[in-house]
Amino acid sequence: MSNLFEFNGAKGQGYSQPAPVLPESSIVLPASLARKSLPRWPRLSEPEMVRHYTWLSKRNFGIDTGFYPLGSCTMKHNPRVNEVIAQIPGIADIHPHQPEHHIQGLLAIFYEMQYMLEICSGMDQVTLQPVAGAQGEFTAVRCVQEYFRLRGETQRTKVIVPDSAHGTNPASAAMCGFEIVEIPSKADGRIDLEALRAVADETTAVMMITNPNTLGLFEPDILEASAIVHGVGGQMYYDGANFNAILGITSPGLMGFDAVHFNLHKTFSQPHGGGGPGSGPIGVKSHLAEFLPGPLVEQRAPVGDESNAAIDNMWYGWYQPKHTIGKVQQWHGNAGAIIRCWAYYRRYGRGLKTMSEHAVLNANYLRHAIHKATKAAGVDSMVCDGAEAVVAKHEFTLSLAPALEMHGISAMDVAKGLLDKGYMAPTVYFPLVVPECMMVEPTETESKETLDDFATHFAEVLQVDAETLHAAPITTPVRRVDEVYAARNLCLRHPYDDE
Amino acid sequence: MLSAMGMSSMEELFADIPAEVRMTEALPLPLPQSEEEILADARRLLGANVAMGERVSFLGAGLYRNYVPASVFQLVTRGEFLTAYTPYQPEVSQGMLQAMWEFQTLISELVGLPIANLSLYDGSTAAAEALTCCVRVHNRKATQKNTVYVSELTPPDRLSVMSNYCQGAEINIKLLRHHPDGTLDLESVTEAAGSCGVYVEQPNPLGILDSGVSQIKSIIGENTALIVAVQPVSLGLVEAPGNFGADIVVGEGQPLGSPVTGGGPIYGIFACSKTYLRLMPGRIVGRSLDVDGKVAYCLTLSTREQHIRRHRATSNICTNETLIALMGAMHMSLLGPEGLQTLAVRNMTACILAKQKLSRVEKITLPHSTSHHFNEFVIELPGSSKDCLAHLDALGIIGGFDLSAWYPERKNWLLATFTDQTNEKQIDLLITHLTAWASSQEVNA
Repeated sequence: MSNLFEFNGAKGQGYSQPAPVLPESSIVLPASLARKSLPRWPRLSEPEMVRHYTWLSKRNFGIDTGFYPLGSCTMKHNPRVNEVIAQIPGIADIHPHQPEHHIQGLLAIFYEMQYMLEICSGMDQVTLQPVAGAQGEFTAVRCVQEYFRLRGETQRTKVIVPDSAHGTNPASAAMCGFEIVEIPSKADGRIDLEALRAVADETTAVMMITNPNTLGLFEPDILEASAIVHGVGGQMYYDGANFNAILGITSPGLMGFDAVHFNLHKTFSQPHGGGGPGSGPIGVKSHLAEFLPGPLVEQRAPVGDESNAAIDNMWYGWYQPKHTIGKVQQWHGNAGAIIRCWAYYRRYGRGLKTMSEHAVLNANYLRHAIHKATKAAGVDSMVCDGAEAVVAKHEFTLSLAPALEMHGISAMDVAKGLLDKGYMAPTVYFPLVVPECMMVEPTETESKETLDDFATHFAEVLQVDAETLHAAPITTPVRRVDEVYAARNLCLRHPYDDE
Repeated sequence: MLSAMGMSSMEELFADIPAEVRMTEALPLPLPQSEEEILADARRLLGANVAMGERVSFLGAGLYRNYVPASVFQLVTRGEFLTAYTPYQPEVSQGMLQAMWEFQTLISELVGLPIANLSLYDGSTAAAEALTCCVRVHNRKATQKNTVYVSELTPPDRLSVMSNYCQGAEINIKLLRHHPDGTLDLESVTEAAGSCGVYVEQPNPLGILDSGVSQIKSIIGENTALIVAVQPVSLGLVEAPGNFGADIVVGEGQPLGSPVTGGGPIYGIFACSKTYLRLMPGRIVGRSLDVDGKVAYCLTLSTREQHIRRHRATSNICTNETLIALMGAMHMSLLGPEGLQTLAVRNMTACILAKQKLSRVEKITLPHSTSHHFNEFVIELPGSSKDCLAHLDALGIIGGFDLSAWYPERKNWLLATFTDQTNEKQIDLLITHLTAWASSQEVNA
């Protein structure tokens, strides 16, 4: 089957349009403005277009296709009612410049989401504006930067990041203009408090960290780490990528953090859409609240005419924080994603804790089941835990280092073997502190049967000989893709015949 | 499951969380709801909003309520697209990878530049990333170090995003002046020579198609990037910026493929020439081969990105707007070149008709009437646009955008937008009520 630009079918338009209100001849553009030749787009009929994208979809693997234990990505089921809700005209057909009295329902949902996230995180004020986790990190670090500027503490030029952190942490802090100080983690990915003490000083602005850490382990020394950073006048930043493990059990506020971002799309199930959209609200303690990007939503009793549009006799309005850093997205963030996440949260309400409990239960059970299955198959010597721990949180790491040493089978080989079994592979080679790392996150929406089957198949893959595994996958739409060739022979668009 | 692990309670799974950081009380949140209850609540709350489609709307100002064909919605909710993650395992992600490689081609052809990434968050972040990108590329040779020039008309919210993205690299944003007729002052552009980049919009924030934009590159020269923000539908009629020397083209992709959705999720377009390839932001798909020599696609040039390069990455972007870009690709592939042109004609003719009719209304002036407009223009009212919009709102009309929100001294400027969704009856309705309101202003005065 061809790409979009190789179609030789109908030469029409895929949908008909009404006639313009005036003939085209009424448009007279000077040569300096008029387009000389149209884009060389394909000319497809609707059935051709529908078949093309249906065919493409069949060459793509989503949660709907099968188990998707991609560590750090929280690939939980996306309830379809959320998609129905996002198509309601009261969100889909709303313009961000409409006046407040047109969007009371939307603002009420925004307010509820601000409140819910504040409650769950132990923060004092949330903004929903950042549209992805990385943008949330950037926004929060910007707020801290302005906070210190206003206090005259301009010597705070450094951000401390553990070497096991997500790459977005140092990238976001660097975009704000901070110098990055990377500190080594211990073998289990946990904070090396001595290393932290050695670098924390009056030049420290922020420490960025996630808990559970990127190995899926809870950081027991978190209060001590917070105390060290606060002791030198710095701020603690919580990367909410792993928030799914702790909702209703603990909170960044209780752990001493000053700012946090949420990956709403992970924790509250906005579909990942093959790479986005996401939503990355941030929450901060009160001393940082005046720096947040605006506008934020407030709730109050309606005045005068406002009662006509008020929701449950409450009025919702925008307001600007006093020292706002300004905007990080031109509009009001990914409102459509926030609505879907609201629907997901409503499903649990005050029972959000059970969501985290089940996520952690599933992760620990799967870790146990994999060890059991590999032992039963006699291949347990090929794989070990990525870190010593009695319990993991919502995800766990395995190391295939023994398999590599014994049989020349790498984590990537096992990943490709799992693709042949009909699974999405776990995250591989992250975090870097675990050799031949495989990071597994089943989420709360999978059944025991799915986890048992995966464990069995995992053990089966380890029984396959190295040569066969090097050749895997063989059942997928294409086999191993040559990424080096792609980088050396750049082909970033369709090569037209005359090129 | 617990007993299989030799555990007796859920608590054992959380034994590693110290008591000092434990929540002691239940979350003060409402009871869990069923799907039916959630849907009913969503319909009640969102139903209380005023959707643009329920009214006659002339509101645009950066986001446009175009028709998105039904098949786009049907296809984009296929679970294989909807519920996939970033295509890190290319063997099972060929569908999205190919669709994004095709998207790159569609955008590349649309704007007249060879390279496009597979989306940034929105038009404002695309513009902001373009500014930091052009400084990375041009700063070494620039005589005005760390300096970019931006049209003074740039909406403050967009400029604010740019400032936030630029401040970390200590980039100075200087402003380009405009003539009273709304066109760019090319004298002011000469001051930008030797800087890292110039950012303008075509059509500009006043809706004007400015023929001066095509002369900028010859003024600023090779070592200063020309960044042009576009309204993508306009490119069915208006020259692609790549064809008059633009180095980077950005824009709000939304009018192609996406409903307005309260301003997000939408997608930002980012395209550039080869000069910027290795220092540009965002994900890129390349065409490659698999071990059997079959055509296959994968993410490429990842060494620019945060997961490899960490603090030296060209941007911190990870999650982008792929699914919305996919909607864009679907819409573009349905339109075809002639369909795009038709769509542009429908927008522009609605704008021309409205201009003709409004120019005959007494007490109303069109301050930029000598210019060409794509789908919106400024109406100068005999009273404040705030009052006028409130008056129209009571009559069920969303009359446009109050430009005093962008330019505080322009209390009487209204930006009215006319798209493919505008018909003559709606224009006449607007004329009728504007005429009545304008004449009442005279009486009051």
